[in-house]
Amino acid sequence: MDEGSDRELALASYQGDRTAYALLVRRHYKPVFLVCLGVLGNVHDAEDVAQDAMLRAFQQIGQLRDSSQFGGWIAAIARNLSINQLRKRKAAAKAPETERPAGHERPESPYEDLEQAMARLPSDLRLPLVMYYFDGQNVKTVARKLEISTSGVYQKLRTAIRQLHEILTAQGDTP
Amino acid sequence: MNGPCPQMQDRIADYVLGALDAQQAEALREHLNGCDACRRYARNLKEQSKSLVAFGRQIEAGMGARQNRVIEALQNVSPAETGTKRGFPFIGGFMRMAIAAALVLGTGVAIGRWTAPRPVDVEQLRADMETSLAASLRPAVQEAVLAQVDQRLQAGLSKNEAKLRTELTGQIRDDVQRFAAQAASNSETLVERRFFEFVQLVEEARLRDRQHVVRALEQMERNRYRDRTEVRTGLATLIEKKPATVQQ
Repeated sequence: MDEGSDRELALASYQGDRTAYALLVRRHYKPVFLVCLGVLGNVHDAEDVAQDAMLRAFQQIGQLRDSSQFGGWIAAIARNLSINQLRKRKAAAKAPETERPAGHERPESPYEDLEQAMARLPSDLRLPLVMYYFDGQNVKTVARKLEISTSGVYQKLRTAIRQLHEILTAQGDTP
Repeated sequence: MNGPCPQMQDRIADYVLGALDAQQAEALREHLNGCDACRRYARNLKEQSKSLVAFGRQIEAGMGARQNRVIEALQNVSPAETGTKRGFPFIGGFMRMAIAAALVLGTGVAIGRWTAPRPVDVEQLRADMETSLAASLRPAVQEAVLAQVDQRLQAGLSKNEAKLRTELTGQIRDDVQRFAAQAASNSETLVERRFFEFVQLVEEARLRDRQHVVRALEQMERNRYRDRTEVRTGLATLIEKKPATVQQ
């Protein structure tokens, strides 16, 4: 299938066209995943929630009011699911840890300490940090997407990298 | 190990983020040249930034595999709600509401016409409504008018209360003064009358005294005249009876 507009792909997806929806996945998965990572601070959880958001959106695409706004719609779904996941995680913080299902093991990451340190940041600092460093967005774009001022973004980034350094120093993993 | 200068930490973070202008960056570099702790802190933050960028690249590198997993999982998901939940997807909210409103209105009109028993006598209906409305509204209107008048009176009274109090006080003061003046005047009149009566009594007494004096004088005059007459008569008699003796 030729790459069409989001509207055309959404209409085709509504008719059950998985190929069309796969193109939407290719086009919108990265921002969806980064939203999940920004909220959750954990790559593995972000992968799970991003996939869940994508599959739910395919089933509920009939609820999309303006098919040209698929990107914003799927990002909102991902954000809400991530927040719910974060609440569940906090509620289960004291529960005994369960083993991951077989087949979901990930290779050891050289940035595991960094990822753990990021997970300990407040989400309102982590999200601009992810958008700035992982999505290659400049400060103005981050400010527009988060609907805050550029000075506000600089303030959050400044605080985030200082706190991240403190966490890594406390872990004994100063870069 | 000493930590970085507290007042320089934000400036160093801005430096790492590339948020300083050339002059600020040069000033910071001069500070870093002379401060080991701040230089070490700046180096750590730079390394941390590089690690973040590298971590981002690693995530980016795995993005295709993640998308593949989603697309693979998509094959096991049925588009369950396709064509079942909504017959007209992607119609804007306003259009849906407009269609729904038209359907509701149309249904209401159809039901109304269908269930209408007979044509309505408009004149009779109007007369009935006027009578009913007049009967039901009259007490309410009266109550409303009375309440409004009462309310306006209350408002007027409260508004003019100070003015009324001042006017009433002034009026009372004037009345008291007028009463006092009148009382004083009445008192003076009474004294005058009493004095006049007293003077009259004195005058009457004096008049009576004068009358007594006049009568006494008249009596004295009569007595003197009678005495003189008697003397004259006695002398005459004496002359007549004893002329020789007298001549002797």
